[in-house]
Amino acid sequence: MKLNIINMYPDILNMYGDIGNTQCIIKRCEWRGIEVNHIVSTLGSDLSINEEDIDMVLIGGGSDNQQSIVSKNLIAKRSKFDNYIENDGVVLAICGSYQMLGNDYLDLNQNNIPCLELLDINTESKPERFIGNILIENNLNLSPKVVVRFENHGGRTYHNYEPFGTVKLGNGNNGSDKCEGLIYKNVIGSYLHGPLLPKNPHIADYLILQALKNKYNLDSLPSLDDNIEIKARNSIANKLAKIQKDKEISKYWKYKKRIKDLKEYQKQ
Amino acid sequence: MKGHLTTKISMYAGKTTYKILQISGKKGTALPGKVSMKIKPNLLKEMGEKCDRTILVTGTNGKTTINNLLNHVLKGKYNNITSNLNGSNLINGVVTPFIINKQEHYDCGVFEVDEGTVPKVTQQITPNYIIITNFFRDQLDRYGEVENTIKMVHDAITDSKTILILNADNPSCLYFSDLPNPEIYYSHGKTENSKKQMDVFESVFCPICGNRLEYDFINYGSIGQYHCNNCGAKNPPSDYKLMSVTSHDGYYDFSIGYCNEQKSFRLNLMGIYNLYNCLAVIALSSELGLDYETIKNRIISFEYKLGRMEKINLKNKEVVLVLSKNPVGLSEVLAAFCINPNEKSLMFILNDYPADGEDISWIWDANFEKVLEIPNIKNFYCTGTRAEDVALRLKYAGFPTSKIRIYPSKDRFDIKPAMNNILSEDNKSYIIGTFTGMPEARKILYDKQKELMKK
Repeated sequence: MKLNIINMYPDILNMYGDIGNTQCIIKRCEWRGIEVNHIVSTLGSDLSINEEDIDMVLIGGGSDNQQSIVSKNLIAKRSKFDNYIENDGVVLAICGSYQMLGNDYLDLNQNNIPCLELLDINTESKPERFIGNILIENNLNLSPKVVVRFENHGGRTYHNYEPFGTVKLGNGNNGSDKCEGLIYKNVIGSYLHGPLLPKNPHIADYLILQALKNKYNLDSLPSLDDNIEIKARNSIANKLAKIQKDKEISKYWKYKKRIKDLKEYQKQ
Repeated sequence: MKGHLTTKISMYAGKTTYKILQISGKKGTALPGKVSMKIKPNLLKEMGEKCDRTILVTGTNGKTTINNLLNHVLKGKYNNITSNLNGSNLINGVVTPFIINKQEHYDCGVFEVDEGTVPKVTQQITPNYIIITNFFRDQLDRYGEVENTIKMVHDAITDSKTILILNADNPSCLYFSDLPNPEIYYSHGKTENSKKQMDVFESVFCPICGNRLEYDFINYGSIGQYHCNNCGAKNPPSDYKLMSVTSHDGYYDFSIGYCNEQKSFRLNLMGIYNLYNCLAVIALSSELGLDYETIKNRIISFEYKLGRMEKINLKNKEVVLVLSKNPVGLSEVLAAFCINPNEKSLMFILNDYPADGEDISWIWDANFEKVLEIPNIKNFYCTGTRAEDVALRLKYAGFPTSKIRIYPSKDRFDIKPAMNNILSEDNKSYIIGTFTGMPEARKILYDKQKELMKK
């Protein structure tokens, strides 16, 4: 078995460890004896492969400056990318590239950075950035439900597709509707950096399996020893749960204090 | 007259704060400055006027090392230097040394300054020299994108008489070429350290025209010999150029071309980035008129004590302790460990306190794969509040999981279990720590050293 994996603009869209997603996919294929043909596609490099032979596309996030360099280049490949997605091609798009799949992206100076208009997504950047650890529950019916990582974005994204997950802790797409990311056919878009996949190997395996389904009609993957992955995920998930609990406790005490103050006020 | 009085009061308040901190066992590297500046916000201006010459050191990596090495070398000529040697590099940290060691006059003021603090400092002090080391991604959440950081420093250089000492091999130096200031460049040139490609493939764009830069060779990170095919920008000609280098375990012998001669030096520090730091120091010292013999002898006698490739001896065992806090730094630290062929164990203390950066994704941007080239690793200890993330990174770098030892820490003080285990091995230990991790390990190591001396 062999998968052709396209790593798009890893030299430019390489924010906050997104490079680790590619490493994770490659290793988890190799450990199962699946051969990986890792192809880097960036400015000035022509793809030496037909689009129908592509099995997975990985693409990361960048700064506004890097994003506009890429989007100009990527627009030339728009129709191929569109066909690929509509034919159930597997895509993981993080942060900036997730935004780029949409209609438009208004940066902080109200400049419209050209987007691919492949999906009906709108994004507007705000000066207040969402920065911090984030915990969501995935909508792919994958076990465990929990997915943890780090978000760092100024963009507020809105769409009507199924979200990648429901936000339990953190902000997600826009900080208001509890939605994080997007699922459309075999495309996952997400704001989760850090990188997303190594600590959430169930998501990595889902992507690998979808690619294998498309190509070889497989319906399951041999399991791996994910001891370290699970430890790493649980460690941060527990820490986040504790922070949340502390917040609730402090809210409770503040509430108690308010009641007390109110009573004293009434006495007066 | 009134101004003079507030200066006195502010200095007195700062000094009192310092004394209180000392009594309560704190170091007091910034708070005295904070207290004094509350009373007299432009205190730094008056203090700066007491120095015959002031030198600022800024950039992503190398500030503290350059500051310490520069102080050591300049003592070969000047008796009276004031400096923030401990790495406290925000405005309060810059003013604190004036308060602690109050004098009427200084030969030199040498300060490392955080990139974002440079504007605040140059509002009050007009430096004679600014050393600008390099710009890399570093805790990006602080100032947004790296270009913003460069712009902040660039726009803070307001006096055209300030002489800039720049790293010609870092393309970021080109951002400063539009300034009217005199510029002195240093460069590493092509040596046995040079590589064809970057460890982690990353496109760098021309600061002049925005086209992608091409590299002829890389010395580390994105530092090397570059050119732009579009506008013709390239490394500026260097005034101080490293011509040859021989790497040993723990030191480098190298020669530098300047003033039409080739001169040899020895530096007792590991890491190619430390050669760059040393080049900056040689350039500045020579510009200040120090002769070759003095510079050479001062550099040879430099021993670093601040947990930056610090060597600590524990009777029959040697420990190397190093601070690491961004991808390029970490990649180069691991590369430096490759030289020693003997059996060794490694440890990485990864914390996620605000000072370390709460986002630990930078360990994925570092070239951790280099660890596979380090010969003879017995165990790799992963500890700190994000110990498991180190283990995960190692696993995906292809490091054998059977050699990974995980010791998660409840908080930054909880690293003793891992420390005791690595120190009980009789081989050499290499300990890497983030901003809050390294000092804790250092404390344990020095306690251990004292304890062993008593026996």
